[in-house]
Amino acid sequence: MQSGGDAGAKRDLPLPTDGVSPSRLTMRGIRKRYGATVALNQVDFEAQPGEVHALLGENGAGKSTLMQILAGLTHLDAGEIELDGVRVAIRSPREARRHGIAMVHQHFTLVPAFTVAENLALDTPSTGWQGLKPYRAPSAAAQALDYARSLGWELPAETRVSELSVGTQQRVEIVKALATEARLLIFDEPTAVLSRNEIEELFHVLRQLRDSGKTVLLIAHKLAEILAVADRVTVLRRGVRVASAPVAETDAEQLAAWMIGPALSAAPKAINSPASMAVAQRRLSPALEGKGIRVRGDRGEWALHDLSFTLARGEILGIGGVDGNGQTELAEALTGLRSMESETLTWEARPFQPGIAPRIGYIPQDRRRIGLATTMSVSDNLLFDAVRESEFRRGPFLRSKALGALAATMIQDFDIRTAGPDLPASALSGGNQQKIVVARALRGQPDLIVAMNPTRGLDIGATRFVHSQLRQARDQRAAIVLISTDLDELAALADRTAILSDGQLTEIDLHAADETQLGLLLGGVPQATISEVEPNA
Amino acid sequence: MTVVGGALLGTLSLATPLLLAALGETVVQRSGVVNVGLEGMMLTGAFAAFVGTVLSVHLPYHLLGADPNPYFGLVVAVLAGMLIALVFALFVVRLAANQVVVGVVVNLLALGLTGTLLRTLPRTGGGFLQTQALPQIFFNQTILTPLAFIAVPCVWWWLFRTRRGLELRACGEQPVAAEAAGIPVMRRRTAAILFGGAMAGLAGAFLSVGDVPTFQEGMSAGRGFIALAIVTSGRWNPWGCLIAALVFGFTDRLQIQGQAIGLHIPHDLLLALPYIATLLILAFGSGWSVSPAALGRPYRRT
Amino acid sequence: MNTLPLPTTDVTPPSLPMRTLRFLLQIAGYTLGFLLLLGLTFLALRIPAAEALRSLWTGAFGDAQNGHLAALSNTLIETTPLVLTGLGVVVAWRAGLFSIGGEGQLLMGALAATALAKVGGHLPAPLLTVLMVLVATLSGAVWGALAGWLRVRRNVQEVISTIMLNYVAKFVVSWLVLGVLQEHTHHNPQSESLPNTVLFARLLPRQWSDNMQTSLHGGVFLALLAVLVIAVALYRTPMGFGLRVMGQNAEAARAAHFPVDALRMRAMAISGGLCGLAGVIELLGSSTGSLPANDFSSGWGYTAVPVALLGGLHPGGTLLSALFFGALTAGCRNLSQFQGVPTVLIYLIQGMAVLAVVGGRASRARRTGSETE
Repeated sequence: MQSGGDAGAKRDLPLPTDGVSPSRLTMRGIRKRYGATVALNQVDFEAQPGEVHALLGENGAGKSTLMQILAGLTHLDAGEIELDGVRVAIRSPREARRHGIAMVHQHFTLVPAFTVAENLALDTPSTGWQGLKPYRAPSAAAQALDYARSLGWELPAETRVSELSVGTQQRVEIVKALATEARLLIFDEPTAVLSRNEIEELFHVLRQLRDSGKTVLLIAHKLAEILAVADRVTVLRRGVRVASAPVAETDAEQLAAWMIGPALSAAPKAINSPASMAVAQRRLSPALEGKGIRVRGDRGEWALHDLSFTLARGEILGIGGVDGNGQTELAEALTGLRSMESETLTWEARPFQPGIAPRIGYIPQDRRRIGLATTMSVSDNLLFDAVRESEFRRGPFLRSKALGALAATMIQDFDIRTAGPDLPASALSGGNQQKIVVARALRGQPDLIVAMNPTRGLDIGATRFVHSQLRQARDQRAAIVLISTDLDELAALADRTAILSDGQLTEIDLHAADETQLGLLLGGVPQATISEVEPNA
Repeated sequence: MTVVGGALLGTLSLATPLLLAALGETVVQRSGVVNVGLEGMMLTGAFAAFVGTVLSVHLPYHLLGADPNPYFGLVVAVLAGMLIALVFALFVVRLAANQVVVGVVVNLLALGLTGTLLRTLPRTGGGFLQTQALPQIFFNQTILTPLAFIAVPCVWWWLFRTRRGLELRACGEQPVAAEAAGIPVMRRRTAAILFGGAMAGLAGAFLSVGDVPTFQEGMSAGRGFIALAIVTSGRWNPWGCLIAALVFGFTDRLQIQGQAIGLHIPHDLLLALPYIATLLILAFGSGWSVSPAALGRPYRRT
Repeated sequence: MNTLPLPTTDVTPPSLPMRTLRFLLQIAGYTLGFLLLLGLTFLALRIPAAEALRSLWTGAFGDAQNGHLAALSNTLIETTPLVLTGLGVVVAWRAGLFSIGGEGQLLMGALAATALAKVGGHLPAPLLTVLMVLVATLSGAVWGALAGWLRVRRNVQEVISTIMLNYVAKFVVSWLVLGVLQEHTHHNPQSESLPNTVLFARLLPRQWSDNMQTSLHGGVFLALLAVLVIAVALYRTPMGFGLRVMGQNAEAARAAHFPVDALRMRAMAISGGLCGLAGVIELLGSSTGSLPANDFSSGWGYTAVPVALLGGLHPGGTLLSALFFGALTAGCRNLSQFQGVPTVLIYLIQGMAVLAVVGGRASRARRTGSETE
């Protein structure tokens, strides 16, 4: 790993001429929109060599977007970036690498079928005759492997990546990034997939990198981790930079407060109140009771361990938390798409059989990928479940007229704006597409509704509509699990809330707790002392 | 010539076109593309080699002499194979169309094109076209056979021992990761497809000018599909392809010579054996290497 | 309060008349392009284009001198197997399974029927015919289901497995027909001829076509029936619905609790059954009903792919497309009078037609950013 003037010349960066040593990185006035949503609004950010600088914020705060701009994965709409005082434009990951920026992604960019050595040897494309030179992966990767050793890692060079543990895979990913002689490293939620031991080792590495003069940017939402390893922290909220401070001068409460912002308004609950008071007056007995629920994630790890909760009919249980804490796994387990183990799991005192007892309505989080078949018509998408019901069959055939009428009714009842039922679903706006998903989920008056981020990417009108539908369903005695990364949504809709962090649920009263407590919970600080709230007390 | 020696050489000979095509297809599939149109490309190569040889008498250079030159036919075959491959690549890489569909269409096109163009050639004598075959170098083999066998370690070495080969395999396993590493996936895939077309052209040339110089409609007779089977049962490895091609060649030889030796196995079943074996390997050979993970999926750069 | 009306959708679709007009224009465009291409091809082959085109037409549809019926009969005969194998492709590809196993499935169908005829020769004729049809359909279904099982249980891609099974079927047929199923004199590489009572009757009386017996047989009705049945099955049954959803988005289908594995098996079985039916129809529609050891099929299984694609993977469209291909085949036979026109010209034209359609769809999809087929 060369450094110094050579490296500078290789990267085509002229050396700074002024005497004052500038920041390693300066980002000024960054703006970025995704359609109607403002992801970043005039954000400033700077970082120094030899520091670990954390970026803290909830989902949608903009921290990932900011770093993606820096890594060349997306383009800024406005603003400027300076590296070592020199203005740069980063238009692609390749350019970012040339400027000495490397990113360690949350979803690894490794080739699973290749060995560790082969993956490490793959970092820069060969040109011309260079490509024909013989190589043996271990020797080509020797430098990278040595570097890994200097970090205290002995990477198994000949093992296929697919056979490695997640933690080891991440190390390979890190070494890959380091081997590009980067001076600025971005880590995107690196601890999400690691065990406690592995997290400690990672922190050790981060400190080593910092001590060697590199700039380490850490996208995170876990407060304890930030306090443990970062030197400075910048907090973003809803696309705006709220604060920056040295970690030594702050604490968990302060960070939590910055992350969440002013206390959640009480108004939404007020709109609710007639219904919620009626609900409170009823004596509700739990319908869904689960204890010791465990669910495995895709990589074989435990996404949820020892979860317990109860849920009554006519109640919305809000589950908050930052993405990646087991939300998807929980939703899939409850809807019967993923297996789960439990000590006890009953629905109305009988064994929990998703689809039969209780009947389930599912609003998945990714409507384009798993909610809809976008090439099929609106009508067809609405009828996914109906076609399997005996009511709509006559012998082996479908009762097309009845189904068509049903679809028309659903379009009307759920206010799906479409020029016709036979239009492909892809022609509708995101909000209307989501309405299809909601309509389908709520149509048959299901007993249990699982909604995951149901208003993500929707405008205010569509959001309000979905919320009113959920409330209506609740009033009609459905039990609703609302999983959402949007705390305002939870405050507006949920009768009870719990925060899912690290595969564990902790109940919280959104209106009684202040933003500090909330932030702490979201930030993964378990709060044994947060008030235990009984259903509808 | 002993029976065994004859059988061996016969096997080598029959295996040659299969091996050539399979080697090319191995590279293509390693890059992530399925080329069902291999059959059509072979047929085109056969036709082109034949026509090229016939027309070579018109070449101006005195070096090549006044006789038909089958080596010139070889060159034409390679070019023709690459041309069809270019069309295939256009649809499959550029437009990211469904690879199976385009492959089937290529087969149709090749069948029609070669058959039609065949009729446009001037006739001599009793309606047959007379021309020359590739000369036999040693052991009654043309140059194509040793070429095929030398190609095996070359392709293996290129795929598994060079940077370019590693990068190509990355394109077939995880194109997103390859792109992130700066590898131009679409360009590499196109190059792989062109190579496959060239090899298919050579394989076809063997059929038409390798032995008795002739061309008939549809003379590839399903060998392109056999080559596909060879790639799969050879586990996308040139050495595996070699073994599989020899097995196919051997069983082909067996069914020709079977009656003479008095084999008791009906030769139709022998012929079916390689295909059944391929199915079994695919179904139950989980311990072996797996197909390139991204095989068959169209890739569009985001 | 916002008084402006909210937009209905992001895309305003054209009205029905506009869409029909656009569709017709597309068809017209393709037809014209096709004729142009044909004309150019003829010119290149130094064949008088106009005469050749007329000859093509006559071969397919007949004219005042050469009876319409004879020509139409030829066309329909060529169309029949393509309809069925084309439907087989439609069912499989709609389910997201790229099966090209039609050849093998139809062979197994014909084989099973032949085997049944051998052991059940004593059965009364109409019964035997019916049983042969049933057995053939079942055999084709089993052959298709085999590939389906390999996909569902062992994750073997159906593209490869169906091709392999095609070859296995070919050799099994050859083995059996030259062996136990061979006709009694053992001179000819084919199975025993079947009595006329078992075979499909000729539909058109001789008198209608200049006293020359046309070969149009009852199989054509079975083919038409199949189109109806499949259309209903795909669009009017729960299974068809699930199949289509799975073909468009298997993830969404699974999330909506459609039984994806079972649907895949069923799709392959139905696809295979259709092709098995094609095999027995061609057997019973022939003049002798004997199954040759080789070359029974004129590539109906492979041609099925462009037929289905040109038909938009839709049963009705496939019928029309099969008619087109059938007419082309019948017409091309009439071209043999012109020197230098090979029957394989058909393939060239078929290929170009499909390539144009596929390319057109792919580039349109690329522009709108949606998934291609």
